[in-house]
Amino acid sequence: MSRHSSAREAREPVDPRGMHLRLDPSVCDGVGICSHLAPDLVAVDTWGYPIIATVPLTEKADRRQAEAAVTGCPRKALSIS
Amino acid sequence: MTYQPEAVPVTSMPAPVGAPVVPGVGARLLDGAAVVPRSGTESLTGVTPQDLAAHRVAYGPRPVRLGAAADALVDDLERVSLTGRGGGHFPTAAKWRSILRAGAGGTVVVNGAEGEPGCAKDAVLLQTRPHLVLDGLVSAIEATGAADGVVWLHDGAWATARAVSRALAERAAAGESSSPIRVMLAPDRYLSGEGTSIIRTLEGGPTLPRWVADPARPWSPGHRPVLVNNAETMARVGLVSLVGASGYGATSLLTVVNDTYRVVVEVGTDATFEAVLAQAWRSPDGRAPTAVLLGGYGGSWVPWPRIARMPVDNGVLRGMGLSLGAGLLGPLTHDACGLEESARLLRYLSDQSARQCGPCVFGLAAVADLADQLTEGRLSRSGRSQLDRYVGEVSGRGACRHPDGALRMYTSALEVFREDVHRHRKGRTCDAPRHSLMPLPEAVRA
Repeated sequence: MSRHSSAREAREPVDPRGMHLRLDPSVCDGVGICSHLAPDLVAVDTWGYPIIATVPLTEKADRRQAEAAVTGCPRKALSIS
Repeated sequence: MTYQPEAVPVTSMPAPVGAPVVPGVGARLLDGAAVVPRSGTESLTGVTPQDLAAHRVAYGPRPVRLGAAADALVDDLERVSLTGRGGGHFPTAAKWRSILRAGAGGTVVVNGAEGEPGCAKDAVLLQTRPHLVLDGLVSAIEATGAADGVVWLHDGAWATARAVSRALAERAAAGESSSPIRVMLAPDRYLSGEGTSIIRTLEGGPTLPRWVADPARPWSPGHRPVLVNNAETMARVGLVSLVGASGYGATSLLTVVNDTYRVVVEVGTDATFEAVLAQAWRSPDGRAPTAVLLGGYGGSWVPWPRIARMPVDNGVLRGMGLSLGAGLLGPLTHDACGLEESARLLRYLSDQSARQCGPCVFGLAAVADLADQLTEGRLSRSGRSQLDRYVGEVSGRGACRHPDGALRMYTSALEVFREDVHRHRKGRTCDAPRHSLMPLPEAVRA
């Protein structure tokens, strides 16, 4: 089980400090590659759509996973800001 | 207490509840309650439409809002604590200031699309007080340095479109100049009135909501800034600009759902919900309702005893975890089943999804299926826990707030109608009549 996988945790308000992995849910088609490229930041819901952790990307490992997910998403639904 | 306002014919409802109707002294928007059909807004009675001449006699000329007068208007909007009446109740002055920071040359939109099928207040305002709304729009265009204005309506709201077009023609004929204002007709769908749907359309895209990274700048990079204010909000801007902060009376417009018609009533913050229903609702059995749906179909059910004596004041309601939302007040009668009613509304909202975001497309439909099973008395124990899990998974995960509102409404039903949940879970359905109390567009689902 990944560190930030609970849906409850993902719904907490986004920490305003620092950069975050962000999802445009209207572009996402639930392809699911992100959950493999960033297992510590992305969980998947019942229907296969990603639930993104709200933690700021302060740790290097998180940052690297987030960048991989942004690059790997075939729908370009993810961004870091 | 009965809720029969002494057999007053519905075409001559009494004056609004609360403060006196004197322009300039706690000035209000309407001079009476409007009666509109159960669905659609093609005919309304009770409020006399005000043409440009009558409007100017009542309020005098519109002050030009440029330079220091623009700043003064924004300050006045803050002083009267004006909030967005489309449902979000975001402070209007703060919204204007973020547009001012973005710079001149943008577009100001009056949102009169009123997606909530139960609500009719925006149509009543645009049909009977178009010049208050347009004074608000022209003041907003001036104050924000915008290049043009838009009145955004639903396709099919012909009476409203006619009234706005007539009002614009009157202003042109009277030589009242302003930046260009055009009427735009949006597809007749629940989400056409969503702010981002409007902005996306103005940028050449489809009329569908979208995700925005920064809610203070909902337009796309490289595009002109857009200010969207609800029609009631804009009428209030017009009123504040005409009478000043000290002359403005803080009121709310509510749409009260009756069995065969709806009543749009203007209410002071000193009025209670009980007083509103006494005036604007005819109980079919002479009894108070069991609960009311407050705000809209994405609002909350509230047990009637909890809210009856509360003032119609969004600040007080917020403290109770509630909101006036878009101003819907839908009483539930004793012969109706709140769970069945809510399942029906949830299905409608699920069908109205823009079908862009997975959690909304699949999650909302899944919850609506489980809600139907509960209504029909065939929801299993695992289905019940699945329902709770799905609600948790879907909430907060759409590009817009559509799924959140729908789920808030349904979860409030599960809470308020606990005893009915228990009864339905035992495999028994209730003997409530199978008709919808809250109006739904007929093409969708009965």
